[in-house]
Amino acid sequence: MTRIACFVEKYNFSNSREAEALQNFKQTAERLGHEFHFMFRGGLSEIPKYDSVFIRATTDPLYTAYVVSKTAWELGLKVVDDPVSIRVCANKIHQYSLFKKYGVPHIPTIFLSKEEFHHRQIAEIFEVFGKPVVIKAPYTSFSRYVEKVSCETSFREVAKRFFRRSDYIVVQKFMPSRFDWRVGVLNGEVLYVCKYMMPKGKWKHGVKKRGKPSFIWGRTVTLKRNNAPHRLKETALKACNIIGKGLYGVDIKEINGDYVVVEVNDNPSIYKGQEDLRDKDIYEKIIRFLSE
Amino acid sequence: MLVVSNIDLKINKPVTKPSEFLKSSFRGFVLNVNNDYRYMKTGYYVSLHAEVLGDEVVPTTENALDAYRPPILLTRTAKNGAPIMPFIVTDSVRQIMAEFAFPVAVFPVNPFSFNGFRTAENRTALYRAVKSLSMNYRYAVCVQPLQGEMMVVKCFFGECACEDNSARAVARKVYETLKIPVCKLYVQRFNGGAYLCGLQPLKMEEITPSDVDLLSKMVSRFSGKGWSD
Repeated sequence: MTRIACFVEKYNFSNSREAEALQNFKQTAERLGHEFHFMFRGGLSEIPKYDSVFIRATTDPLYTAYVVSKTAWELGLKVVDDPVSIRVCANKIHQYSLFKKYGVPHIPTIFLSKEEFHHRQIAEIFEVFGKPVVIKAPYTSFSRYVEKVSCETSFREVAKRFFRRSDYIVVQKFMPSRFDWRVGVLNGEVLYVCKYMMPKGKWKHGVKKRGKPSFIWGRTVTLKRNNAPHRLKETALKACNIIGKGLYGVDIKEINGDYVVVEVNDNPSIYKGQEDLRDKDIYEKIIRFLSE
Repeated sequence: MLVVSNIDLKINKPVTKPSEFLKSSFRGFVLNVNNDYRYMKTGYYVSLHAEVLGDEVVPTTENALDAYRPPILLTRTAKNGAPIMPFIVTDSVRQIMAEFAFPVAVFPVNPFSFNGFRTAENRTALYRAVKSLSMNYRYAVCVQPLQGEMMVVKCFFGECACEDNSARAVARKVYETLKIPVCKLYVQRFNGGAYLCGLQPLKMEEITPSDVDLLSKMVSRFSGKGWSD
């Protein structure tokens, strides 16, 4: 019997599909004979009582989730997401540097430093990548802090905003597509495959409504993992192998028959009726991994 | 060994600027001497670049990240024998009051605050400190009992100019654990002992000429060469 702590924040229960998925994790764990408890911010001192920790709250090295992950790791517990995966996935500079080093096919990318942020550099970027380009803050998640710019004025405005928190930002070639593949990977094996569709007339899966804090999200189309293209799965596994053996959601674009990695996310979304629609065993696989 | 620094060190060895190093593909040992190793700042990216190149580097990105997160700093240094005060991570004033008596020291655990801490001597002050440092309860805070005097110690490779032997021992322990070459330590003097409470980056303007001398001496010692005036 394994005692599993699932670290969550209040917002994890605000979406009914996510809340149901969390209940599915709990029920699956209990059916398999394990204990499964939700742990909130105030319960960090209880980490030593558990055998493994499953993090569902947003992970970032500067958030409490990293403190949970690192504390559990230091105590020798099994952790998903482990601190190394959080460090690599949460920082796109780190991630794309590894993609470059290990030859993972990815969207053409350059890093821009605060010091190099001047007219000549911006003009050069537009010359190489064409217009528009995509600017990403290294800490992007859930389609936030990723913006498309077509002129120097908006480039400067967006970059300045992203430079507030990071001394480096990511600039990428704009590669439009109707959907991004999302491949869920656990311990070096494909867990689920979906298509994250772009909302009509938009270029990314999640778009902020103008003047409002809320987002609109594109549809999720789920495939059986066995029916997904073999080369897609191979690309996803190659990208994950350079990061670790945890739980990841790999975003991939299909451009002219080639697969290019957009990014690897730790702590991927798992919503009832979406990622779990075709492969119902994903809960069991994750719980078994946590209790190994 | 390559010394990468944004501080004007007085050493008889070439010093590479961070911006130059970040464009290089140097292979070997990298000593990253920076006043600030915070996540996503240049000091952090120097260590990251070295790691991606496959270089050995001091400090590592893991240590740089852990050092500025008070709960992880305290857990890791305590494991290595550094004296610490009990602490809790929470955003609940009720939980803090149930655990500790006043006064308490409140450290931020959020992505934006990196300087200082707040003290609270009563419930109202505690509410204010938690609300402010948790950014309206969005993030957690790290709270420790405040039973003595809080000292700020500037620390260079585990050495500090302070006279207090127990504080110096804490500084050495922190360096032994996390290998952060330049930092500011918050140490609580209590019952004749010194207890580690937090670690934060040094601002450039906080580094005095005598600090630069001490730092340069330590860099030279680290690289195994004599220090020249």
